[in-house]
This record gives sequence, C-alpha cells and structure tokens, in this order.
Amino acid sequence: MEIYLPIAEQSMNVFVLLGLGGAAGLLAGMFGVGGGFLATPLLIFVGIPPAVAVASQANQVVANSISSLQVHWRRGNVDLRMGLVLLLGGMIGSSAGVSLFTYLKNIGQIDFVIAVLYVVMLSTIGVLMLVESARTYIRRRRNPEAPRGKLHTHYLVHRLPLKLRFYKSKLYISALLPIGIGFVIGVLSAVLGVGGGFVLVPAMIYILGMPTAVVIGTSNFQILFVAANVTFLQAATNGTVDVVLALLLILGGVVGAPIGSRLAAKLPGVVLRGLMSVLILVVAVELLTELLRTPSSLYSLGFRQVMP
Amino acid sequence: MRAWSTIVALLVGLLLAGPLAAPTAAQGPRIEPPAGGIFGPLPGTGGAQSSDPSVPPSVPSQFETPDLIVDLSRPRVSITSAFQGESILLFGMFDPPGEIVVVVVGPPARETVLRKQRVLGLWLNTGRQAFDDVPAYYSIAASQPLQRLLARSAGGEILSLEDRMQSVRSVGQREHEDLIRFRLGLVEVKRREGLFPAAIGQVTIQANRLFRVELPFPSRLPEGIYEVRTYLLREGKIVAAVSRPLPVGKVGFSAQLAGWADNEGPLYGLGAIIMALVVGWIGGAIMRRI
Repeated sequence: MEIYLPIAEQSMNVFVLLGLGGAAGLLAGMFGVGGGFLATPLLIFVGIPPAVAVASQANQVVANSISSLQVHWRRGNVDLRMGLVLLLGGMIGSSAGVSLFTYLKNIGQIDFVIAVLYVVMLSTIGVLMLVESARTYIRRRRNPEAPRGKLHTHYLVHRLPLKLRFYKSKLYISALLPIGIGFVIGVLSAVLGVGGGFVLVPAMIYILGMPTAVVIGTSNFQILFVAANVTFLQAATNGTVDVVLALLLILGGVVGAPIGSRLAAKLPGVVLRGLMSVLILVVAVELLTELLRTPSSLYSLGFRQVMP
Repeated sequence: MRAWSTIVALLVGLLLAGPLAAPTAAQGPRIEPPAGGIFGPLPGTGGAQSSDPSVPPSVPSQFETPDLIVDLSRPRVSITSAFQGESILLFGMFDPPGEIVVVVVGPPARETVLRKQRVLGLWLNTGRQAFDDVPAYYSIAASQPLQRLLARSAGGEILSLEDRMQSVRSVGQREHEDLIRFRLGLVEVKRREGLFPAAIGQVTIQANRLFRVELPFPSRLPEGIYEVRTYLLREGKIVAAVSRPLPVGKVGFSAQLAGWADNEGPLYGLGAIIMALVVGWIGGAIMRRI
C-alpha cells in the first residue's frame, strides 16, 4: 500500500515506513537509545530527501522520548537540575545546528555533510562498543567475578569554574561541562535528526560520571525538548517536517519499543552490545561505500525555484 | 472503468464533431495562441458560420476550416494521499485527415544542477550551474515517428526535448563545453525522475477522425499549471492547434498539510510536536499494558 508524503513530495510504501519505525523502536527498547541514528540513514537509503528525513526524524524522536520519559519520571530517575543545565546547552546547540543545516542546504552540501558525519560517528561508536563488549566478554570468561572498573574518577570536570551541586546525581561539578555536552548533542540533533542518546548516554557516564540509574531518564528529558526545538525550527525555517512520514515512523516505533525491551531482558548485556555495535558498523560501512563508490550519475538537482 | 469512460468519451467526441455542437467543446479555458495565428479558428467562435461569410450557413464548409477538438479524461491531476503517478487520456476529433502531435509542458522554473567530483577519494558536489526557464515536465506524443513529422514542418513550433533544452538560459558565466555537460546532466536527472519521458508517446488515430493518447505522469510531479498543446499537421504544416491548461496540484489532506507547512511554518511545527507528544504518550501507555 502506497501513501503520498506531502512534504517529501513522493509516494512510499506504508509498510516500509512502519517497518523502519518499528526497527528504530526495537533498538530503542533493546538498548535504551533512540534508534534515530539508524532510522535516518535508512530513510535516505529508501529515497527520502535527506533534509526531509532529518527533520521528520526529529519529530519522531519527540514521540519516542515522551513515551520512555513517562516511565523514568514515575520511577524518579530524572535529575531535573542536570537535565535543565544540559537543556540550556542543547537549546543553543540545536538552534545553531538548524542554522548550519539551512546554510549547508543552500550551498548544496548537506547530503555530503550528513553522510560524512554519520560515517565518522557511527564507526567511532561502533568500534568503541565492539572493543568494550569483546573485552568484557573475554574478561568474564577468564574470571567470572572480575571487579567492575572504578565508577567515579576525578578529572578536569572538577576543576572548571561555575560549579553546581547535582543532588540526584551526587555530583559537584562545573556547569560548563554539561552545557558543552548539551550543545554538541543539540548540533548533532539538528544536523543529523537524531536524539543523540547514543552519544549523550556514554558522555554522561564517562565524562560527567553520573550514576547509571539516572542517566537514561535525564537524557530522555533533555532529548525531548531538544528534538521539539529542532522540529519547530526546521518547520519554521526549512518547511521540511513531513508529519505523515513522522506519524508512520512513530506508530511503528510505538509497537517496536516494548518488543525490544522484552528481547533485551532475555539476552545478556554483552551479547546485546556486541550485536548493536555490529549493526552500527554495517550502516557505517554502507554509508562509506556510498561516498567512495563512483556514483551512477554525477548530476543531481538542487533547489527548484518557480519563476514568477 | 477506464475503458468504459474512454468509450463514452469517444462517443461524445464523435457527437460533438458536428458544427452544431461546437460551442460546447469550446467551453474549456484556452491559452492565448502564439504569434503567427497557427491556433486555427476556435470552434466556439462560430465555427462554420463565421469562418467564411460568403458561404451560406446551411452549407457545411468542409476542409476550408480545419477542426480540432480536444478533451482530457480528467480536468486536472490531483495529488491525493494515494497518488502514485497518473495516466491521463487525451482524446479528440480532427478534420481534415492528417497527423496529430501532442506536447505537454510543465511550468518553467529555475533549476540548479549539482555535479559530483572526486575529492580525496570521496564524491562531493563541487560544481553547480543554474538554468532559467526549465520546464518542470516535457513530453511529446505523435501519431508518426516524430523525426519524419518535424523534418517536414518548417514552422519550428513543435520542439523536440533537445531543441527545447537549447532555449533554457544559463545563469552566470561558464565555458561552453562545460555548459553543455551540465545541460545534459539536467536532462539525465529529469529523465530518471520520469519528468522528461525518453520515448515519444504513441497517438492512435481511428478512421482518420478520432485520436487518443495516454499521457503518463510520474509520482514525483511538481505542482503548477501544465499546458497540453495539440497540433494537427497536414503535409508537414500545422493547420490547427489547441492548447489546454492542465492544473497539477495537491488536493484534500495532502494539500492542506503542504499549505500549512509552506504558509504557517511555526504553527505547523507546533502541531507536529503536539501530534508526536500525544501519539507517543498514548502509544507508550497502551503498549506497556499489553
């Protein structure tokens, strides 16, 4: 069954889009990250213009994060103060990111920048995760009772000015760091259409040293508002948010997420992370070959301006 | 369904062929004829009666005023939520016998062509060239191989795609050879999208009086007022021509959404956020219970 997407201006199979949303939801449920980083490249693969894919995916992230925030909020797993500080950076970053996006779109380089950023980001994260899970796996096999690494170490974080107390996270660190991290996530979110959870979560654990329990809830809190800001700005400046496309992705994701979390409960964490890193690397390699392979056509069309 | 409407339409066309019924056929809006007056006498302006005052009204003036009546199976191309491209039937009647050529032209626009180049092993858009007056869509259908028809017609009124593309104006300065490459690139992309169909459509003629042709439109179709020009050729000369506008536009829900996105961007954005919040919240709550 085909449906016409009014902003992408083309028809697409409904089940392909529901399936894509479902796959992203499944990942979200399994790994606790948004899945946008896989859904956006896949949307581009199936032929949605990158500008529309990115902006509509941001809209999908809004739905995704509200439904997981529901649970984490009720359980009290949100460090509101940390969330607000991250959000401050996130709002600045995402607003700057949308301007950058508009500029890149106007000079005709947005597709290239999106592809390169994805390749760099996905391959870095994929390799790091693969190495980490392989190491854990080997260590566990050698010595099943190996102690976990130190949870809390003192770095630069503790020496910067503007220190703030984050009671829920049991931290006393400079506010500049979470603002900076929020800013980077905001830019990524605007340019790539991702929530940024897969970067934010490790950053919160390893850079800020937040306790794992409040990480997912707090990142969801910040992502919700950043994605809403990106959706709003993309709609207001570029007009590239396709709500029909977003709705189909959301519906697929709503069904996929609980299935993912049930699957995650059955598989050990190491295997799960190993699987995910392989998946990420496959997408990264595919995107890289797209960039390296001689294209079937050298030409493409940019913006079409109707003459008065 | 389509077969039936075709038969009915052809029958109606046959009935309308008489001079008495001519005013009915002229009700459709017409685009102003180009200079040179090749757009023959319009049936609606009086047909047989006014064309030659010396001939008494009772005597049908056969052959002296060529007749060309054209209609479309649909008055417009409606882009709905289920749109996947569309084929529209153009049919009509002509007199005297001859050959029929149909040209469909989409609204002109400025198109920017981007060209990739290998930079440090990566393919990157490095070249860009804008062209003005590029038709959104261009297709030709004819009752005979076009080369034969065009070779004999001296008017230069009917342009093949290649000839039409010669007239697009490039924006800015560029070396001639390179400009040609960009222009070919433009045609290549448009062709891939089905907007410049490579094949010449086949106009079917019956009994030297009736003709029909299917006009194909792809799913990624730019909006605007298209122009459908029908020419009657006789011995290589255009003896009659009719132009009909064909509006292409989104309708219903698609049109509403696209309109909001274009005109009320911020409001549309807020709507999209609220939609995501509501669906995400309700969906999450429901799925957790199952």
